[in-house]
Amino acid sequence: MPKSVIPFGPQHPVLPEPLQLKLVLQDEKVVEAIPAIGYVHRGLEKLTETKDIQQNIFVVERICGICSFMHALAYCQGIEELMNVQVPDRARYLRVVWGELHRTHSHLLWLGLLADSFGFESLFMQAWRCRERVMDLMEMTAGSRVIISTNTIGGTRRDIDRETLGHIISEVDIIQAELKEFEQVFMYDYTVQHRLRGVGVLTKEDAYKLGAVGPVGRASGLAQDMRSSLRYAAYNELDIEPIVETEGDSYARTMVRIRELHQSADLLHQVYDKIPDGEIAVPVKGFPTGEVISRVEQPRGEVLYYLKANGTKNLERVRVRTPTFANIPPLMHMLPGSLLSDVPVLILCIDPCISCTER
Amino acid sequence: MLENISDINTDQLLSVTQQVDLEGYRFVTASCVDNNNGTLDLIYHYDLDGILKQFRLQVTHETVVPSISRIFYAALLVENEIKELFNVNITGIVIDYGGHLLLSKGAPESPMAYPNQITIERR
Amino acid sequence: MFDMLGTIFKNLFTGPATRMYPTTPRIPMAGARGQLAGIDAELCIYCGLCERKCPSNCIKVDKATKTWTLDPYKCVICNVCVEVCPKKCMTMDEQYRAPVYKKENQVQQQLPKPAEDVVICNTPRIADGE
Repeated sequence: MPKSVIPFGPQHPVLPEPLQLKLVLQDEKVVEAIPAIGYVHRGLEKLTETKDIQQNIFVVERICGICSFMHALAYCQGIEELMNVQVPDRARYLRVVWGELHRTHSHLLWLGLLADSFGFESLFMQAWRCRERVMDLMEMTAGSRVIISTNTIGGTRRDIDRETLGHIISEVDIIQAELKEFEQVFMYDYTVQHRLRGVGVLTKEDAYKLGAVGPVGRASGLAQDMRSSLRYAAYNELDIEPIVETEGDSYARTMVRIRELHQSADLLHQVYDKIPDGEIAVPVKGFPTGEVISRVEQPRGEVLYYLKANGTKNLERVRVRTPTFANIPPLMHMLPGSLLSDVPVLILCIDPCISCTER
Repeated sequence: MLENISDINTDQLLSVTQQVDLEGYRFVTASCVDNNNGTLDLIYHYDLDGILKQFRLQVTHETVVPSISRIFYAALLVENEIKELFNVNITGIVIDYGGHLLLSKGAPESPMAYPNQITIERR
Repeated sequence: MFDMLGTIFKNLFTGPATRMYPTTPRIPMAGARGQLAGIDAELCIYCGLCERKCPSNCIKVDKATKTWTLDPYKCVICNVCVEVCPKKCMTMDEQYRAPVYKKENQVQQQLPKPAEDVVICNTPRIADGE
């Protein structure tokens, strides 16, 4: 049988961002898949060499819109380690609050896109209606809905008082109640099960060898979560365990993200009980020297920042390795052997954020 | 300074990578830094149980660096990117994009290497 | 298979989840960052701190002609200039800027202070005790 090559993308209704996959097909089954990226390359790593240390926070935040707070957090933690700055306790807890709110809105967005990829539009809209509450919370506490710019070197720029924190907790309880209504559809509905079970199986050895990170790796049995291994920010005082499933198919990846939503709500309750009083930032003077690596758990996986400074006001090198960059080789391994109609579901299962990949 | 970093040269690269694979490390990424004096630093990062281990390799634009993508398949994208943006001669990558992974045909050649062909305008 | 029936019935009988914009406008929350409204030109001392700290280079300060220029289409509304100003003369408005047909810079210039009326007294001073 002759083989045919179909270009999937770069514009496709199911993809949130442009990505091209050249699929080699034989009779509706995919034989090989080669990715082609480069449609949104902005050269941000070069731009960071021309701006000074405080201005770089705003450049780095705009690498991705969905995980923007964690990019700024990883950068600030790296610079604080180079300059030996001790961040106050209240600032570390506030960073956990905004980080977990970002994780909540990212996973709700993903649930909606997954429902859209197999054509279930009303479930897509239910998930995004729930997400609007999180965006309103971010506007109330930080001033902006998507890119919140509340990190600075030495702490945070804005404070959240006790009454607003109580309002956040009550809204998170409402989100959890609404989530319990429509997660039943993802977990038990007859047609959804046919689209998700047994599709794109990634075994544990393959996931480790190919370097899968985040929920893709955790759904195949790898127990790696930077929040519980590195315990940055205030996670050393909070109770957290990585959420692991063992089957490695698309249903397992959906279950990991739904359970992480409940875990985020639980972490926010813990922060409400334990947050101390105090100041939110310390003044920082001088320029850093040396090189450092900082890692943070984004909603999509582990992000790594390599920073090199030489004592002047500009940094010499800022290198970012985002989780979707590490999850593309597992995608190239999962696609051969699947049907053409399963390709959109598989691409969305790794949660592609192509603007992070290309910077 | 980075902890757990050791310096190697191009002959030792493949044997060190095989060794690290047998010990059970996971490939994280590779970084390239231009030292602005004709040499570049290639740093390979590996991870086991949350602890990082690094290897630094100092090369010039003419040094032939063998690819590690036959041992770690996950390295193919980052080696293509380093070859394209910094003009390092990496040979034998499993899928070679020929310099067009991120940059298109009309883009400047190796934009991140020194001397920089790009000026940022301040208007 | 009927897990979503309850949600479907609830959606049929409650109102729409979206707002009827533009008949009902959206009111931004207090403290929201909408657009940089401008400066109070009388208070500004033209020190140039806002120009140096801006991450997107959208403010130009000219001390000789006492002019402050803003390019509002480059501004990323980060609020750093408002926080570092030593005289606190910049304001951040909550409403996002309205669409326009043509992009223009916003220029604010401090007027030269008007000459004060000075009373000149021509009568000789009468010393005390005279």
